[in-house]
Amino acid sequence: MTVLKDVVAELIGMFVAEKRLTIAVLSVVTMAGCLIDFTDLDPLVGGTVVLFGCLTLLIESVCRSAKAGTS
Amino acid sequence: MTWSVATPAVMAAFLAALVEVVEAFTIVLAVATLRGWRSAALGTIAGLAVLAGIVLLLGPLLNRIPLHSLQLAIGILLLLFGMGWLRKASLRAAGIIPLHDEDAIFAAEAAHLGQHRRRQQTNLDWMAAITALKAVLLEGLEVVFIVIAVGAGRGLLMPASLGALAACALVLAAGAILHRPLSRVPENTLKFGVGVMLSAFGVFWTGEGLGVTWPGQDLALLLFAALFLAAGLVGSALARRMSVEIAR
Repeated sequence: MTVLKDVVAELIGMFVAEKRLTIAVLSVVTMAGCLIDFTDLDPLVGGTVVLFGCLTLLIESVCRSAKAGTS
Repeated sequence: MTWSVATPAVMAAFLAALVEVVEAFTIVLAVATLRGWRSAALGTIAGLAVLAGIVLLLGPLLNRIPLHSLQLAIGILLLLFGMGWLRKASLRAAGIIPLHDEDAIFAAEAAHLGQHRRRQQTNLDWMAAITALKAVLLEGLEVVFIVIAVGAGRGLLMPASLGALAACALVLAAGAILHRPLSRVPENTLKFGVGVMLSAFGVFWTGEGLGVTWPGQDLALLLFAALFLAAGLVGSALARRMSVEIAR
């Protein structure tokens, strides 16, 4: 049972390293999806939102963790 | 299949497997040192069998999912996974969290098994085999995910698997020669590199899954990787500066 519990914890940990970053990345992808599906904008605009959104979120997450002094 | 997608896919699988196999090898070696190679080999084989079962189960299932949905799902998972690695590697490079220390992990695992040796002699071989199985299974899960994620979208499962297997062979050969934890492997640099590649793949697949046609097609991956590398380095530099200012 412990092995199974550890496997589940490992799987969750793989994709939810930091809750705030995970929620933010999912929000950016959802926003890009809405831009592509519900507006007349070029889909590339949505792709650019994903790219630069994720780059910004990465720097913000690293800086926030450094400020808090935690992982 | 073009080299601009195949090369990063194989490299990502190879480097990620290298990091994870080194970590699993440290624990398996600790088990073998304390309880002999029988328990260690038994646990390792069982762990590899479970991983092979996961691949055999998931492989055919992936073929049934429409390509765009598969690209979107895998792209999002790659983004979450890759950015998680890149974030942690940036924080390690900045000195905010400590580097992975294989010698310390080896000592901790040996001490853990040593404690059990004093408490319960009878179940120790079983316990040692389970420890090896857990190490192989938990570290291997990440490798399996990476191989499937970078390989599934463009029929690159076989080259990505070969990249991962080459890393396994390299670590086993080095381990067999040295017979000690592979503490000199620059794990954080490798994790940084893998995080960059996985994040780049994540943006690429997510975009394609959403219906984006990237300019330059596969070559866009290289631009994304360069941008994530720059973001990781900038984040790390800013984090280092912040920690110095806070220390003052």
